[in-house]
Amino acid sequence: MQIVSGGVTDQGRVRTNNEDSFRIVEPLNLFVLSDGMGGEAHGEIASSMAVETVVKCCSAPEESRDESNATRHGTASDNWSRQTTLLRNAVLQANINIYQSAQKYPEQRGMGATLTAGWINGNQLSLAHVGDSRAYLLRMGSLQQLTNDHSLVAEQVRRGMLTPQQAEESDMQSVLLRALGANPEVDVEMDEISLMPRDVLLFCSDGLTRLVTEPEIAGNLQAETDPHAAAQRLVDLANERGGVDNITVVVARLQDEPKGWFSWLRLDTGKKE
Amino acid sequence: MAKLSLMFENKLVKEVPIGNRAVSIGRSPDNDLPIDNLAVSNYHARVYYEGGRLVVEDLDSLNGTFVNDLRVERAMLHDGDSIWIGKHHIKVDATADTAIPWDSGRKAAAPKINETMVLDTKARRDMLQQAAAMGERSQFSPGRLKMPTLVVLSGKVDHKEYVLTNKLTVIGRSPMATVHLRGWFKPQLAAQINQRDDGYYLGTGSKIPSVNGTPIQGPVRLNDGDLIEVCGVRLNFIFRE
Repeated sequence: MQIVSGGVTDQGRVRTNNEDSFRIVEPLNLFVLSDGMGGEAHGEIASSMAVETVVKCCSAPEESRDESNATRHGTASDNWSRQTTLLRNAVLQANINIYQSAQKYPEQRGMGATLTAGWINGNQLSLAHVGDSRAYLLRMGSLQQLTNDHSLVAEQVRRGMLTPQQAEESDMQSVLLRALGANPEVDVEMDEISLMPRDVLLFCSDGLTRLVTEPEIAGNLQAETDPHAAAQRLVDLANERGGVDNITVVVARLQDEPKGWFSWLRLDTGKKE
Repeated sequence: MAKLSLMFENKLVKEVPIGNRAVSIGRSPDNDLPIDNLAVSNYHARVYYEGGRLVVEDLDSLNGTFVNDLRVERAMLHDGDSIWIGKHHIKVDATADTAIPWDSGRKAAAPKINETMVLDTKARRDMLQQAAAMGERSQFSPGRLKMPTLVVLSGKVDHKEYVLTNKLTVIGRSPMATVHLRGWFKPQLAAQINQRDDGYYLGTGSKIPSVNGTPIQGPVRLNDGDLIEVCGVRLNFIFRE
């Protein structure tokens, strides 16, 4: 499937540096985004380390070391595709790199990062995330969040302890339950999604979603078909509303399938391997 | 400069230096050392220098402040002492030359509330259990034990019922569809049902489905027993044990 994509990252109006990072690797249809945290500028180090490690591991999986980590942390019951497994290993490696760096350089202690990555092969999306940076799917007018926020308030909503409204108003919104770099092991949440033509994917850090509502995101994605322009519009909107955090938006649009009498003949076998 | 290290199950959660001002400890996020745990009072205790000595003072907390297993109202602290508040352990480090505390370096411009903190698995489990034990009112039943199911009442589809296990459910002719509509001229995606944190939402596709006879105008949260109709197919949405 043909995919067009674009992304924008912005410091925002309040922070004095940008601790978000993202990369789009077009030949792989790989999209990676990270929101860093930590004193001084350590958030920047953590998030760029996270993104670069994932890109590196996915670009050259044969060369990526520490394959044993996968089996050590692997949940054998999950029948993930090869690509999904590679993506998971890449995120695990990113976690180790950040953690070890902080062990080695004590001033980096406490640095961490969220990570959200999507890797598309054919019509299969492999999705991995740790933290509260999100992936959304816009399909036929419905915007659906694909990732589960690994934040305390989101967990409280899931358990029926808070309403979504209360969660949004909570002071504890930025308390995370999972992040890269905090521990030598991390539970990476994985998912596989079957994509359809005209699906639009959006990856973002919470700097966007704290200030822009989901209907507004959906509306902007529908109105602006150029992915980079759409990402820029959303960033601008967040900044107009105060830009209190760094903002990163990545948009990927799956193109329409060519129409023709033979399109119904096309057999789509779905999951690879 | 002395510092306090907040530990939870032997893992460091936060560190603060003790300077000229008192260090406040409690559940409210505006404390210097906030501990988000229901066993901790909003303003539980303070640590400060008095006459060159380090002192901890309980602020009439509900569950008390303990220094090395002894409940105190006010006590002097020495290097290596442990302050216990709820299940949290605060180490007292009264030597000089401490490492940079975690939350230093945040520029004044950054909003105070957006300190990002990471809790490890045990901490989070405990925190959530505490909240449940204290009888937080639950507004939504978790519904984890009940499987959301579409029972086919009429129409040409491939199965008699569908258990919704995925985040995204497509009703249509697409090979990707869970509820696969039969018929050459059916749309690839007629309608969709998507799982969110607070329930299952029915959305439009190429067609506008109805819920209990009324066409939807946007994504609609489905309730147990709702009747969905689209493309000549009638489905009953239920939660099954």
